[in-house]
Amino acid sequence: MTSWQAIRLVMGREIRERSRSGAFIVSVAITLLLVAAVLFLPLIFADDDVRYEVGVVGDGNQAVIDAAVALANPPGRKVRTTIEVIPFATREEAETAADAEEVDGVLMDGREIVVRGAGGEAGGALESLLQRGARSVQIESLVAAGSGEVVSILTSQPLQVRSLSGADAEENRGRSVVAFGGLMLLYMAVLLYGSLILSGVTEEKTNRVVEVLLAAFEPWQLLAGKIMGIGLLGLCQFVGTVVIALVGINLTGVIDLPEFPVDSILVLVLWFILGYSLFAVMFGAAGALVSRAEDAQTVVAPISLVAVAGFFIAIQAVSNPTSTLSVVTTFIPPTAPFVAPVRFAFQAIPLWQMATSVALMILTVVVMTRLAGRVYLGGLLRFGSRVGIREAFRSAEL
Amino acid sequence: MLELSRLSKRYGEVQALDGCSFRVERGRMLGFLGPNGAGKTTAMRSVFNLVSLDEGSVTWRGRPVGQRERLRFGYMPEQRGLYPKMRIGRQLAYLGRIHGMTTGEASAAAEQWLEELGLADRIGDPLEKLSHGNQQRVQLAAALIHDPELLVLDEPFSGLDPFGVETMAEILRSRAASGAAVVFSSHQLDMVEDLCQDVAIINRGRVVMGGEVRQLKADSPYWVIEVEMRGGDVERLSRLESVVSVDFDGYRHRIVVRKGGDLSDLVSRLDLGGDVRHFTFSAPSLSELFKQAVAG
Repeated sequence: MTSWQAIRLVMGREIRERSRSGAFIVSVAITLLLVAAVLFLPLIFADDDVRYEVGVVGDGNQAVIDAAVALANPPGRKVRTTIEVIPFATREEAETAADAEEVDGVLMDGREIVVRGAGGEAGGALESLLQRGARSVQIESLVAAGSGEVVSILTSQPLQVRSLSGADAEENRGRSVVAFGGLMLLYMAVLLYGSLILSGVTEEKTNRVVEVLLAAFEPWQLLAGKIMGIGLLGLCQFVGTVVIALVGINLTGVIDLPEFPVDSILVLVLWFILGYSLFAVMFGAAGALVSRAEDAQTVVAPISLVAVAGFFIAIQAVSNPTSTLSVVTTFIPPTAPFVAPVRFAFQAIPLWQMATSVALMILTVVVMTRLAGRVYLGGLLRFGSRVGIREAFRSAEL
Repeated sequence: MLELSRLSKRYGEVQALDGCSFRVERGRMLGFLGPNGAGKTTAMRSVFNLVSLDEGSVTWRGRPVGQRERLRFGYMPEQRGLYPKMRIGRQLAYLGRIHGMTTGEASAAAEQWLEELGLADRIGDPLEKLSHGNQQRVQLAAALIHDPELLVLDEPFSGLDPFGVETMAEILRSRAASGAAVVFSSHQLDMVEDLCQDVAIINRGRVVMGGEVRQLKADSPYWVIEVEMRGGDVERLSRLESVVSVDFDGYRHRIVVRKGGDLSDLVSRLDLGGDVRHFTFSAPSLSELFKQAVAG
């Protein structure tokens, strides 16, 4: 039997038995309910009227706005949409007001929209409403003229869109969402699945099945299989929830999502796996040191503390991705998974630093798995009181 | 053949194993005996690399034991334990697979063993729903599921009722008969004498007596005489030089005598005018060998 076969067997059992357990099914159901609640409650309670403030400069604007308001308020619709028109004398004045967010957008000469940032919270919806208004104005003039092509109007964007914050605004917003989101996900996964691994290990020790397993497996194979099984199951649950949430967001339009840069996401996934592995190994070794759930908190506290520290250093890195602290912690394995993806998202990490950090991390995970396997063996066969880490290590010199 | 040679292991102040050596032959059963804390569990664990030895080696058919060899071994640890919430059929199949069986082989073997142990109708029940005795049976099946060439069982008879003991003994006998090497530890010396061809007696981490039971008895420097009589003064015998001890259990006297002493003198003195109901002359029991070995 190869190590990989052994790991796969342990992994398979973890996934099968855990996904059948009542607790798991309940937790999946609760998560989905929460996602649904977040997505659909605003719709149910959304009877507040929508009100936009639009600055206008020049002529030909009122027709577009009237048409937009009429389109937004079809007969029978409960929610009323109103557009308040604020005239400006010059383009500059209007743009200054838009930049200061005094108005949601500016319509110029019935031909152009100026918004602060493309795809901003109110901007996206207003922009598409005004485009529809402009199309209907064009169709009306077509009808009046008696000839012309409707399709080309319906498929065009009659109003030009200009963003004040530049072309990169959209992408930057995507990057910071990915960085923050990834940070939160990793932090949650470490604490959530870390405690699952801990209790899984302690459980096998408490019900004494571990000696039968270790007679066939090497300890590190058992530990690795357990970590990967729980990790994979957790990841599936996580990805499933995120996909359902994204589909829901698209269907309901409750939240306006930016474009996500693909490279940021790939880096995030890589670091997620590395970071999860390292913390999972540490939690697994910690679980082997105790035989009662009550003792678990004591050995877990230092590990959780490291995760909390990593999280806060990464928050600091969001505003200061090239500070000495950010650079140094990129090379410290337990904090790197939090800091490195944030720095990458803001394009503030040189390639060599990223490569060195990843290599260090992989090395640490491999070494830690072996070491934890040793602690695991030494700790697992001692029952009763808590086993000191040095004692566990020495009693299982492999 | 399993060979443990010169195993040593120290835990802090405690010398758990101190040059422990013995071998288990294929097709035979070895009883591994010793007082509590003598090092039995540590020695058995070392077969599965669960103990990192300070010195010594464990070999199977002349080769050091690695993960590949261990997959052909079956182990029942002293601390019994399986997954309480896992269904017993799946559980046994899983344990078969971790010893290298295919999914199909493992499921078939699980069904077969549950059938043999009278638990076929419980195959879909989680372990925790079974009675204590039935859980013990599953534990035995867990050690046997992959048809191991070597069986190592730590106190397999403890906690079993007489029917359980009978089933266990029967299964161990049949495993040995079909060519497996079997070693188990026990405090039930009569049971060991009944089942095992070989014994190893360990004390303070060292094997103090070992070999074939028949041979050990023949080599013993003592005889045992058991007498039941009315009247007479048996106690006087203890004054004879060749007599080691005289015990009285309320019915019979058990007299241990040194070989080569003057037996006829002894026997003549037994005719003490009493009414003799029972008289046997035999080699010492395993129990007596054990006491000598551990005391000496």
